[in-house]
Amino acid sequence: MIEIERLTRRYGSRTGVEGVSLRIDAGSLFGFLGPNGSGKTTTIRVLLGFLRPTEGRASLFGRDCWQAGRQIRQDVGYLPGDLRLYPSWTGQQYLKLFGQIRRRDIAAAGGDLADRFSLDMAVPVRKMSRGMRQKLGLLLALAHEPQLLILDEPTASLDPLMQEQLLQLLRALAEKGHTVFFSSHTLSEVERLCDRVAIVREGRLVADETLETLRGRARRRFTIRWVRLTDAADVKPPPFLAVDERRNRTWDGSLTGETPQLVQWAATQPIEDLTIGHPDLDSLFRRYYAHGPEADAS
Amino acid sequence: MNRGLLAKSIREATLVTVMLSAALMLIEGILSYVLPTVMQDFSATLLQLPFFRTIIQALLGADVGDQLVPQTFVAIAWVHPTVLALVWTQAIVFCTRVPAGEIDRGTIDMLLGLPVSRWQVYVAETIVFLGSGLVMLLMALIGHRLGIMSVAAEDRPGIGTMLVIVANLYCMFAAVGGLAFMVSAIGYRRGRAISVVFGILIFSFMLNFLVQFWAPARVFAFLGVLNYYQPLPTVRTGDWPIGDMLALLTFGAVFWTAGGFWFARRDICTV
Repeated sequence: MIEIERLTRRYGSRTGVEGVSLRIDAGSLFGFLGPNGSGKTTTIRVLLGFLRPTEGRASLFGRDCWQAGRQIRQDVGYLPGDLRLYPSWTGQQYLKLFGQIRRRDIAAAGGDLADRFSLDMAVPVRKMSRGMRQKLGLLLALAHEPQLLILDEPTASLDPLMQEQLLQLLRALAEKGHTVFFSSHTLSEVERLCDRVAIVREGRLVADETLETLRGRARRRFTIRWVRLTDAADVKPPPFLAVDERRNRTWDGSLTGETPQLVQWAATQPIEDLTIGHPDLDSLFRRYYAHGPEADAS
Repeated sequence: MNRGLLAKSIREATLVTVMLSAALMLIEGILSYVLPTVMQDFSATLLQLPFFRTIIQALLGADVGDQLVPQTFVAIAWVHPTVLALVWTQAIVFCTRVPAGEIDRGTIDMLLGLPVSRWQVYVAETIVFLGSGLVMLLMALIGHRLGIMSVAAEDRPGIGTMLVIVANLYCMFAAVGGLAFMVSAIGYRRGRAISVVFGILIFSFMLNFLVQFWAPARVFAFLGVLNYYQPLPTVRTGDWPIGDMLALLTFGAVFWTAGGFWFARRDICTV
């Protein structure tokens, strides 16, 4: 479905992305994560044929994105990260225009989506709130039921209920074989939706894994409460524990080794209480954002 | 041709086209009425002033002789700076909308995210632009015919002659549009594109005046767009200025094609 090979895109002396390779199969819910300015939007713009790669290549449905952009976009729904619409147009006019340009009758599907999103299609864009405009952008990206959805920060400006509705809709589409390329800098929504995640940082791909694999790699948080204050001060942490904070009789930190190691070690220590949390994806991603692939090694 | 793109372009252009066409009709009507009826009384006096004579000559691109006759006033009505300004404004405003305007306001992402090629977008804009020119100049012609009704029937130029002038003006409109399309295709900012084209036209306009006063400037007279639009000889003879019209159409086509290739191959960045 999506193939990107050693993609590099430079803007003069500045690098947008460098050496990015990805392969995404049909039916995937693919999360594309990275901080602002990391190269997510550049990658998307290459996929849509807006930018020509400096090196490498990108293809959708087996066709080159730059050469065959028009044909490719027939089956693509796209929501830009910085959505801008003609101010005087209403949702209905937009829907009609997109139907005419796509040469498809999308009125019924658009109407259903408008109902689902509680969007008044008779309101001109200039009178819409940011959230309403975002809903309209999503509606226009979804109305023709594309094989591939490329969504750049789609939940921006949406309220939590609407975000959940959108995620449900995307899950349902993926079950029907549609592919979702979901770009975001927010881990939680990617975690809720996607089955695979790539992380891009400073233009380079620093991870491309299933969410399960990443969860397995993420460290668990732990809290140990010692029986005596002196124990908390005197005991030397074993190598599989990274203690971030010591408060009175308590240690807080993350587990760099395996859970059984911690349990076995704790059984031999004068410990009053031990809490082990879920894998902490948040801190894993923060480390990826901050340090890149070396986060893995640490 | 993609009907949706045409519909979009028509919708976007309608208001400005109607407003400028109405203004042009009004101005053309007023000039065609006022110039022959009011100025004829003063023409002999005015032509005694060397500066006035030169300005009229520069405006018309031909010697007016010793007296301003009705044909001269008709010609003035079609080269009046207000008329040129309205025609150029339509060409510049329209042709800088895509792609510079769309990039500038960020709407091009949604447009090019659709299954359309950049050439399709460009051609659709051009078709509507050329159509808007027809509407505009037809309105101007109507205004002119209404205004000139005050002139004696035998002094009025025939409709055939007027159509030649309008066709010549339309070629100039197309040439300015072609230039504006090219500048727009290269740039990212509509305001900058408008300024550049406006600057070129002002230079061209000034050059047309300069050659009347300063002989060395005549070498560069061919660079002035008004060098190819001179209604007075047409009013006098009724002949088609084929060479001038072809020159304007060639300039327009070359600029337009260059702009199209540039737009089709350029990167689109809105962030």
